[in-house]
Amino acid sequence: MPEGSSVTTGEILDNRMVARDHFLMRVFLPLSFARPLPGQFVMVRDCRLSGPLLARPLSVFGFQRRPDHSVMELLYRVAGRGTSLFSRMKPGEGLCVLGPLGRGFSIHADVKRIVVVAGGVGIAPLSFLVDEGYRQSPSLEKRELRVYLGAGTEELLTCRERLSGVCDLRICTDDGSLGYRGPVTGLLGEELHEFAAEDTAIYACGPTAMIRELGRLLRNSPLRCEVSLEERMACGVGACLGCAVAVQNAAGRREYRRVCHDGPVFDLREMIFNGS
Amino acid sequence: MIMKKETPGQNPPDLTVAIGGLVLKNPVMTASGTFGYGEEYVPYCDLNRLGAVVVKGLSLEPRLGNPPPRIIETPSGMLNAVGLQNVGVRAFLSEKLPFLRRYDVAVIANIFGETVDQYRRVAHILSGAAGIHALELNISCPNVKKGGVAFGARPEAAAEVTANVRAETDLPLIVKLTPNVADIAEIALAVEEAGADGVSLINTLTGMSVDIEKRIPHLANVTGGLSGPAIKPVALRMVWQVVHAVKIPVIGIGGIMTAADALEFLIAGARAIQVGTANFVRPSATMEIIDGISDYLTRHGLGSIDKLIGSLNTNPSNGD
Repeated sequence: MPEGSSVTTGEILDNRMVARDHFLMRVFLPLSFARPLPGQFVMVRDCRLSGPLLARPLSVFGFQRRPDHSVMELLYRVAGRGTSLFSRMKPGEGLCVLGPLGRGFSIHADVKRIVVVAGGVGIAPLSFLVDEGYRQSPSLEKRELRVYLGAGTEELLTCRERLSGVCDLRICTDDGSLGYRGPVTGLLGEELHEFAAEDTAIYACGPTAMIRELGRLLRNSPLRCEVSLEERMACGVGACLGCAVAVQNAAGRREYRRVCHDGPVFDLREMIFNGS
Repeated sequence: MIMKKETPGQNPPDLTVAIGGLVLKNPVMTASGTFGYGEEYVPYCDLNRLGAVVVKGLSLEPRLGNPPPRIIETPSGMLNAVGLQNVGVRAFLSEKLPFLRRYDVAVIANIFGETVDQYRRVAHILSGAAGIHALELNISCPNVKKGGVAFGARPEAAAEVTANVRAETDLPLIVKLTPNVADIAEIALAVEEAGADGVSLINTLTGMSVDIEKRIPHLANVTGGLSGPAIKPVALRMVWQVVHAVKIPVIGIGGIMTAADALEFLIAGARAIQVGTANFVRPSATMEIIDGISDYLTRHGLGSIDKLIGSLNTNPSNGD
């Protein structure tokens, strides 16, 4: 269980659209809220209980400690009723935050090259990983950072400003409106030969089809790759068993793990893809 | 952190309740399948304060559970079709129970089988283990192909599995009933006659939800069990009916989110209650409910919860 998880009432500082269907919410939190690790998530809901019954899981996109409070950033895409209601919440309104939750990304001290593969809003935990996990670590500044950032079309892209100065940014759009025309896994596949297993770590988050394609690309590759998964959740703490994902266990047998508690970050090689 | 409220010069009300031979410090339990094996909730709850922890349903062998998606939110509720994924009774005893035994809380093992013999064997294994305070017989899971609700839907089958487990164990035996029947009181009577020490109700109502864009069910299992505030009025009505049909204690379950909800069930005659879906929404819900019941008794000048249980007046115009 994650260290220091708690139920906290935060206050929305601002909540604005950053791309079509994509919002960035900044939340004021007391110092008692534990510092999230890259890849961890929070369960959030409107404190007024007027909205949906269940909280919604959102990856932590940013986190700053101030002298007397913290600010958490959440980047989310409006995908259904819960996130649609979030998008209409106003500064000053209360947000119930449960977390930080889950197992985050591994930070490798021995790699020279970090490769990030992000599909759509999947960039949220990965941007936090780049920033918190690697860029802010003085001993790691000489790392080469390459980010493959994909979206359906240019107007769905987020985080370009945040990432462009700090990494080698490769933009991909399905319709070719900006950068490489095609999925991020298409460009990654063309450039995969540039990476050596002993000095590279790959991190990915995105739609199921992207993760599945990544699994196919890397099936016979020794490159290490961690993926952050998304699933519907009720509790977020490992009790409801709602967010099951099929993996191959150490004995080679199929079993279900909990995205919320055993993940959301998994080794790509553990995952079982239907039809592969 | 939970602070115990102190009222100077006044004793806190007595919340103790008994289910068969099982004495609980208060009537608030966690419903099976909504609280894991307890460990998951330690950051948010003081397990020592709970009346009991009812652990996730245990079967003789580990069960993989159903493929995802397993849950979907619905108006004022949620559907689940987890399919009784669990580590199996032996792994529970060796890997999960030792943690719970560190706490001063009653542990109720919810048990499940595909055949009467499997129920008996699970009950036998648990009866020989230290640290199990009661059994809850799950004859009401709607999400498995064999067993479960197949035993809970007919009085004869419910009585048969109850009698067989009764013969296997001296532990207090609670039978968890399904609402997906024409007459729940008839099933309750059958398991009472077969030797149950108590009944708990309701398990989830069978339901369904469709993704209209993809024209597929939201759940891989197609149907699932509905829980949450949406089912509370149905649960309360069934508890009230069963309270009047049987002599053994009734444990109320179904959409209890707050102390007020719990009090409705207690007033209607439930001896204890279980909190389920609320644990997902507010992980410290059980703590708030225990405090709320205690505050209510103090506010109404009731020194003991016994004075509240079953105090429903259905003829208020004849009362004083």
